[in-house]
Amino acid sequence: MSDAEESPTFEPAAPNTGDEFEPVDVFPDSDDFDLRPGADSCYKCSTCDTNCPVAEVDDDFPGPKFQGPEQWRLKQTDDDYTVDDSIMSCSNCMRCDNACPSGVPLSQMHNTARGEYVSEQMDTLSVEYVRNRILANYRTSAFLASKVPRLANVAMNFGPARWLMEKTLGVTRERDFPEFATQTFREWWADRGGADASRRNARERRERRGEPTDGEKKVAYFHGCYSNYNTPEVGKAMVRVYEHFGYEVVAPEQRCSGTPMFANGMLADARRHAEVNVSSMSDLVEEGYDAVASCTSCSMALRQEYPELFDIDGIEEVAANTFEALEYLRINEDLTGAVREAEVSGDLAREFAYHAPCHARNQGLDRQAVELFRDLEGAGIEDVGESCSGISGTYGWKEEKYEKSMEIGEEMFEHMAHAEGEVGMTECPTCAMQMEHGSGYEIRHPLELLEAALVE
Amino acid sequence: MASTPHIAVLGGGSTGAGIARDLAMRGLDVTLLEQGNLTHGTTGRMHGLLHSGGRYAVSDQASATECIEENRVLRDIASHCVEMTGGLFVKRPEDSEAYFEAKLQGCADCGIPAEVVSGEEARAMEPHLAKDVDKAISVPDGAVDPFRLVVANAASAQEHGARIETHSKVTDLLVEDGEIVGVEVEHASGPGKRVHGTEGGTEEIRADYVVNATGAWAGRIGDMADLDIAVRPSKGVMTIMNIRQVDTVINRCKPKGDADIIVPHETTAILGTTDEEVEDPEDYPEEQWEVDMMIDTLSELVPMLQEARTIRSFWGVRPLYEPPDVGSTDPTDITRDFFLLDHEDRDGMPGMTSIVGGKFTTYRMMGEQISDHVCGKFGIDATCRTAAEPLPGSEDFSVLRDYMDEFGLRSPIGRRSVERLGSRADEVLQTDRPNPTVCECEGVTRAEVQDAITQSGSDLNAVRIRTRATMGNCQGGICSHRLANELHREYDQHVVRQAWDELLQERWKGQRHALWGEQLSQAALNYSLHATTQNRDHDPADGDPVDFAAFDDGVDHTGGSGGADVAADGGRHGD
Repeated sequence: MSDAEESPTFEPAAPNTGDEFEPVDVFPDSDDFDLRPGADSCYKCSTCDTNCPVAEVDDDFPGPKFQGPEQWRLKQTDDDYTVDDSIMSCSNCMRCDNACPSGVPLSQMHNTARGEYVSEQMDTLSVEYVRNRILANYRTSAFLASKVPRLANVAMNFGPARWLMEKTLGVTRERDFPEFATQTFREWWADRGGADASRRNARERRERRGEPTDGEKKVAYFHGCYSNYNTPEVGKAMVRVYEHFGYEVVAPEQRCSGTPMFANGMLADARRHAEVNVSSMSDLVEEGYDAVASCTSCSMALRQEYPELFDIDGIEEVAANTFEALEYLRINEDLTGAVREAEVSGDLAREFAYHAPCHARNQGLDRQAVELFRDLEGAGIEDVGESCSGISGTYGWKEEKYEKSMEIGEEMFEHMAHAEGEVGMTECPTCAMQMEHGSGYEIRHPLELLEAALVE
Repeated sequence: MASTPHIAVLGGGSTGAGIARDLAMRGLDVTLLEQGNLTHGTTGRMHGLLHSGGRYAVSDQASATECIEENRVLRDIASHCVEMTGGLFVKRPEDSEAYFEAKLQGCADCGIPAEVVSGEEARAMEPHLAKDVDKAISVPDGAVDPFRLVVANAASAQEHGARIETHSKVTDLLVEDGEIVGVEVEHASGPGKRVHGTEGGTEEIRADYVVNATGAWAGRIGDMADLDIAVRPSKGVMTIMNIRQVDTVINRCKPKGDADIIVPHETTAILGTTDEEVEDPEDYPEEQWEVDMMIDTLSELVPMLQEARTIRSFWGVRPLYEPPDVGSTDPTDITRDFFLLDHEDRDGMPGMTSIVGGKFTTYRMMGEQISDHVCGKFGIDATCRTAAEPLPGSEDFSVLRDYMDEFGLRSPIGRRSVERLGSRADEVLQTDRPNPTVCECEGVTRAEVQDAITQSGSDLNAVRIRTRATMGNCQGGICSHRLANELHREYDQHVVRQAWDELLQERWKGQRHALWGEQLSQAALNYSLHATTQNRDHDPADGDPVDFAAFDDGVDHTGGSGGADVAADGGRHGD
């Protein structure tokens, strides 16, 4: 065959960004997806492996290329085809998703394989399973602790108890448990008058801003567990900042986003929580609300992991209408302009060492805080680099992973030490734990600084 | 009989290897001659379907009956080569209902277990099937790895005393007093295992009888003794998909036609095929439209094929034969039955029988019949044992092992390795030496590669067909040099380089027909890697001997740099 006889029109193939990959729903009533076709996008360049923070420090971890496209391609659908146990060493930072130049659905492959491993191959009586289940269900522990926060704060960091926890459960005693707030965000929210109060505040603000009072500015706040039980100041800041821009906030019924459950392969737990979240959020989305999260892993879960892993009514709509709190304002308001005109004084008039969480990076949000606050008078912000903090939620809490977690974090700690500021900043609660643990700095959330700058 | 008769079997495909095994097991002296690697001809270029017989159940019931019988035998004796995937004959709304009924009846007539499943049930089995598929007939089709099967037959023949010569081309038939008494062979690299660079040579092999099992090449052999064997080679294209879109063999339930089958094969799926007569089994056009047409047509059954990644395409030539008086014009009408042509009865030339036609699934049965025929010539009354005795690798084995505990392998790699090696797994995989994965796409470890090298010398394509290394999505882009490296120590630099070059050439050959989308990205990456790290875009380094002493040989254990006082970039240390 002569190529010269062919028509000369050249139609370059569109680059593969992975947007078109849609796993087939194999069994309509379950969440079993056949992910083998995702391996078609992999051309083995190994960029995922070189970006994997775990592979860098753990020589026994074969890396995302093996865990994802290679393992899925080698796997058959027979029931007796097992998932390699190394999947449990993946920290679910999802940096491989971001690294892949070809749109391989890596984290979806890892999450699915891990779920399969845990439900089919893991001994549910093993210490590892019990420990992981407890860590993954942080919300349950936090819920109980929040009933007696003062007692919990003492007990959870009581030396002998922690020694016992490490020996029996494999939860590292190197770390301090986060403190539980004496008043949760939701308690504050209810005391304050809930959605009605927010509606009044928002209308008032809109009037003062010269915006139509009947405007459709309304968001459903996904505060997640940590802002509720541990750092209600972040949740409060979110509400006040949003009301400042005239948004009515509601705080619908919600459970854990599922992030720690995905990372531990507890997909049944995650699904149960996701069903509640999707159900309450999808009703609101239908009414014109957008979902806004202040934790970048929560927004990641709702946006990406939910539709990738579950088939729940309304899930696509929720995913498409979920945003991170700063991101949403940067899209819909002149946030940069407002910050440029503002000045911050008092407690938060500081230099901040900012770390972008991996999950923020995956949503394209890794520069938002730095770009926003560099124009803010009275405060300074410096990016401490693009490394992973190393904690990855529950990963760094596991006794056998603690050392590796700290090794991954080393680069960030070093950059924090070199940064001018001595207060840290990040959107992610567990990154914040790691930053605090490695540097001794106090860590704040961008919403807190925004509140200090904008809300009088 | 004074001495054991010596039989020369020509052709190292399934038929030849099957005959060699059978005759050797019956105690005859056997020499198997193959011009390339085992499976070099049609056997290495097929879709790997283990027929249930369903495909022939309407048109050729004799063949269908043979197929189901042999299907059962192979599941038993070749368990490590066979995957019982099951098969479906899928009917689309536009396909004939009458034919569907005829197929079902045909299966019943031939003793092929068949069952009608609804469209919904078929989609529950195979979720990627088209939504509008009406219904299907489920049959016991399977997938078989032709490489492994032929290698196992040859290994068994060898265990029974046969001499196996690959890369040994028959250049002439020795005729004395009107009788064929042997063959003249051109060895590419000396007799025995192939080692690149070993001087070849001509050998006269005298035989008491010659069996011509060269398939599409049978006519050429015949010509050497002026025998007219009118094999009608017919080409068919096959396209390999990167992954298995289906785990069941999917056939289109239509009377006949191109592009009507998808066979799940190891990690891939193979699409087949076309049927077009060609003049020369070695020189025929390979055209892109054939590939395009096949993907388009099969997308009617499995729509996702349209967008799915293709890793290569290849063409095979069927060695079709029909007695000259039939005169079919369309190659699809030519029978798939096989014929024994005893040249003494047929042409008055004793000493050789040719076996032509036939199909892969019934290779063993063909081997049995021709072995009976040959034994008859020598008055040997030995029973055929090939239907009962498992092939090497197919003795009792289980794929359910603790791969990490037993072999130190991650589970999908261990599983794949054990599936390929069957009962030889322990012998091959249990090693005290480091056993890294060499081919990541297919999960092939060093131990398996080394085992293949001991069987086949320096030929990396022979390693490939034994292990599947380089047969995955990167098509050797990431592992060819690692495989070449495995030859080192035993073989020196120029041998390794030739073997490596040859492997890369072979891998490129099939990828030429898959250069779009993801495989084009893959090829571009492979090219860049090979160019920038192996100097493959420049003059090959195999001309003047490389002065390795000019390079830094690394840091020795005392901490100082060993060897010459030059850095790896060619400069002096400290530059």
